[in-house]
Amino acid sequence: MAHRKIVQLAASIAVALCGAAQAQGIAIDTARGVVELPGQPQKIVVLDAAAADTLEALQAPIAGVPSQLYAGHLQDLQDKAAPVGTLFEPDYEAIAMLAPDLIIAGGRSSARVAALAGIAPAIDMTIWGEDHIGQSLARLRSYGRLTGQEARAEDLEAAFTAKLERARAAVAGRGNAMILMTNGPKVSVYGAGSRFGWLHTALDLPEAVASVDAQTHGEAVSFEFIAAADPDWLIIIDRAAAIGQGNQAAAVTLDNALVAGTTAWRRQQVVYLDAASVYVAGGGIQAMTATLEEVLAGFAAGG
Amino acid sequence: MGLLLCLLAGISLFVGASPLHPGALLSDPQALQLLAVSRIPRTAAVLLTGAAMAAAGVIMQLLVRNKFVEPGTTGTNEAAMLGLLAVTLLTPAMPLFGKMLAASASALAGTALFILLARRIPPERPLLIPLAGLVYGGVLMACASFIAIQSDLLQYLGIWMSGEFSGILAGRYELLWLAGGLALLSYFAADQFTIAGLGRAVSLNLGLRYGQVLGFGIVTVSLVSALVIVTVGMLPFVGLVVPNLVSRIMGDNLGASLPVVAGTGAGLLLLCDILGRLLRYPYEIPAGTVFGLFGAAVFLYMLLGRRAHG
Repeated sequence: MAHRKIVQLAASIAVALCGAAQAQGIAIDTARGVVELPGQPQKIVVLDAAAADTLEALQAPIAGVPSQLYAGHLQDLQDKAAPVGTLFEPDYEAIAMLAPDLIIAGGRSSARVAALAGIAPAIDMTIWGEDHIGQSLARLRSYGRLTGQEARAEDLEAAFTAKLERARAAVAGRGNAMILMTNGPKVSVYGAGSRFGWLHTALDLPEAVASVDAQTHGEAVSFEFIAAADPDWLIIIDRAAAIGQGNQAAAVTLDNALVAGTTAWRRQQVVYLDAASVYVAGGGIQAMTATLEEVLAGFAAGG
Repeated sequence: MGLLLCLLAGISLFVGASPLHPGALLSDPQALQLLAVSRIPRTAAVLLTGAAMAAAGVIMQLLVRNKFVEPGTTGTNEAAMLGLLAVTLLTPAMPLFGKMLAASASALAGTALFILLARRIPPERPLLIPLAGLVYGGVLMACASFIAIQSDLLQYLGIWMSGEFSGILAGRYELLWLAGGLALLSYFAADQFTIAGLGRAVSLNLGLRYGQVLGFGIVTVSLVSALVIVTVGMLPFVGLVVPNLVSRIMGDNLGASLPVVAGTGAGLLLLCDILGRLLRYPYEIPAGTVFGLFGAAVFLYMLLGRRAHG
């Protein structure tokens, strides 16, 4: 009973705060169409790692984030903001106690938007499907308008676009690539239509094997498949990096006679990506920039 | 049956994502390497796993005196998984062999606890035991899932839950020989297991060292399960369906039936793995998934068929 009262109280506070700023409504693009927000939020709860990443870059006032974002570069944010559940399961009471003006959900928490809207205005900022970069930059611009940091958002976008151009130039004419995710002893391959596919499409990086199905969790393949495809470059994401082994586990998994025979391995053209940046916070402007830096460094070092 | 197994193994050697023709073996050193590094280890791993799991299943069924149990329905797999998760979190740098030992110890404790539980269930209610086992396994699995969610290891846990052989190469499966060896060792105790299957009182009357046989059985079942989980992942139904199929034809004299049980387990699993490699070529469907479909159908038939007989 007590928490229902708190929710009601919080909702009325939120309504009051929104009412005060009614004068300048902000219309922003979300994953579910354009949403009209009453004004600039002063207290935001963020339930998505990519959104937290971009909002932090814009120095937005973030009051609450999930207790685990799994990304090293967001640790500062986690230390400052209050914990509000997990990426999948928001802690509704903790959020209500914070009395936010706006709740930003997305990705893993997108299914909870309706429930969250009972506490404060909630928007779904999921980045999914075609044109990953286009969507991510659109989110960046929306957040810029939302927080009154348009100039900063423009700077970030310009820096990212410049880096993207450099990366595109760096991979041009260097051969094809295959994106692999290792998980313990097993390996799956990701194609251009997958969640990591923007590395192929945005960078014009040819696929070693075309028409890999656009599956969320990749296609399980054997090491023979990698050997037969013989990619020029291997781009590796280590799913088990969360347990603090860095890329070591992935390197051990791939270090075998079959992978050793590929062009990529022989010429040491193997690029390891930070799993937190490309996987958990993928779509965040800092995370995407970091991923591009890893690609640039990898292609500069290899073969 | 030996002939059929050889035939399947032969097919398995020449099915895979890289093209390999028998003729190329004589001329092409790369083809030989592929055979030695990938195809032979994979075929051996499937055969060893199938045989050992089926043998572990039949031993478990005799010890608990119930046809509807296997390591997958008695919490053994889940206990091994908990152990694996614990060492992954506590000592991530531990080599594979150490992780296997930890998983085995945990499986051992889990199985022993289940046998204690099962003893309190009246034998005249045969379906209660597998039900209790499923609940017990579910509780253990819930603990494992909770820990995995908290540490973002749910997908890592997931790979051990669907048993498959795509990652098998020379140097990555050799511990399965140990599982195969254990199954072979259990063959020498087959007669003792058969007597133990008659119950504690009868066994003691016949002069069997019941406690020792029980202990040996638990150790065998737990070690086999843990070794299989750590190298390939969970393979449900292998230990359940195969012994039942064989026992319908050959009865419960383990001395005679154990080789057939092991051979059938190996052959069926290999068939499933070959299908998994071919159905979505060049991608793979886990052998555990293919066997799960087949096993679930047979298991349902056994449950429903039993009621029909009264």
